[in-house]
Amino acid sequence: MKKFGLILNSRPAGKEAVLRVKQIVNGTSDNILTLDFEGVDVLTPSYADELFNGIKNLYPEKKIEMSGYKGNLVVEDVLKKLGIIK
Amino acid sequence: MELSCSSIYNHLLKIIRNNTIDLSECTFIHPWALILICLLLVKKHNNNDKEIILPKSSEALFYLRRARLHEILKKLSYNQSADFLEKIFVNEKDNLNIQEIIHCNFRDEFNARLERFGKIFMNFGLRENDARLVVALIGELGNNVYDHNLGNWPTDISGCFITAQNYPQKKCLEFVIGDPGIGFLGSLKANFPGLSDDISAIKHGLAGNTGRINEDRGNGLKFIQNWTLENFSGNILIHSGKGLVFLDKDKIEGKEAVEIVGTIVQIMLYYK
Repeated sequence: MKKFGLILNSRPAGKEAVLRVKQIVNGTSDNILTLDFEGVDVLTPSYADELFNGIKNLYPEKKIEMSGYKGNLVVEDVLKKLGIIK
Repeated sequence: MELSCSSIYNHLLKIIRNNTIDLSECTFIHPWALILICLLLVKKHNNNDKEIILPKSSEALFYLRRARLHEILKKLSYNQSADFLEKIFVNEKDNLNIQEIIHCNFRDEFNARLERFGKIFMNFGLRENDARLVVALIGELGNNVYDHNLGNWPTDISGCFITAQNYPQKKCLEFVIGDPGIGFLGSLKANFPGLSDDISAIKHGLAGNTGRINEDRGNGLKFIQNWTLENFSGNILIHSGKGLVFLDKDKIEGKEAVEIVGTIVQIMLYYK
């Protein structure tokens, strides 16, 4: 995810990221998508909401996993409070 | 005359005279008052006879120069006062605890500035994760400004004004964001037509309701409250339209205040 920016903020940016993810993911037969937050500084709830729900709507059959968020209080808290991770 | 968060409301009748904003008797200006003044300047900036009279007090004048008010005055065409203020010499390194006022017309400008805030807050003494939280807080507040006012700004000035101040002895960081937008009531009324006053609208927004019809939103303000109250034992003050609402861990209080165009939010954070 750090290739999308170090500060992941705003709904429009989250929507744009979903479109980019679609280009990256399309054609793959993998059933698991992993979003790696290693190196990301800040994730805001608006961005996370757009990104996660956008990807989920595009690929309802795929499992979406998160990694690289441990140690970053903001990223972890946002993912937890939005129910994306436990 | 001191313009603090609360006292500015007692002095507004003296400060505002038709299209003149008279700060001549001001000896102290709090960041909240500064942003409120910016919104008053926006409201009047299209009038030919608009004027701002700067403080006589050199301390207050130095603060306004340090906060770079002259840049805002220039943008809003208060040229004479802008030129006067700009010529005052202050060594900005003398007070690194003041973050000058930033006006971001558009979202891209805001996002670009946001990247700098983390470093500024770490220089203020915040730990890395706390600085990240504050950046997320400001980011989310800014998102609200642009999301809810896009294509709907009441005047020809869009965007938000941001300022911040650090109080190192109290380990307190304060930041204030003001926008000349449609306010809580203007935004929420589309989805909740029964809302009739600004205080109820602010409380309704804080409860996680959104004015965007058929969109699953409204988490932003809940995060802002949670982080401010739980992670920083802080408090939030919001003025929107005629409503003024204060919120901390123990209470939420609302009262009527003078009407402004848009919204001001102040967040006080106590860091370790």
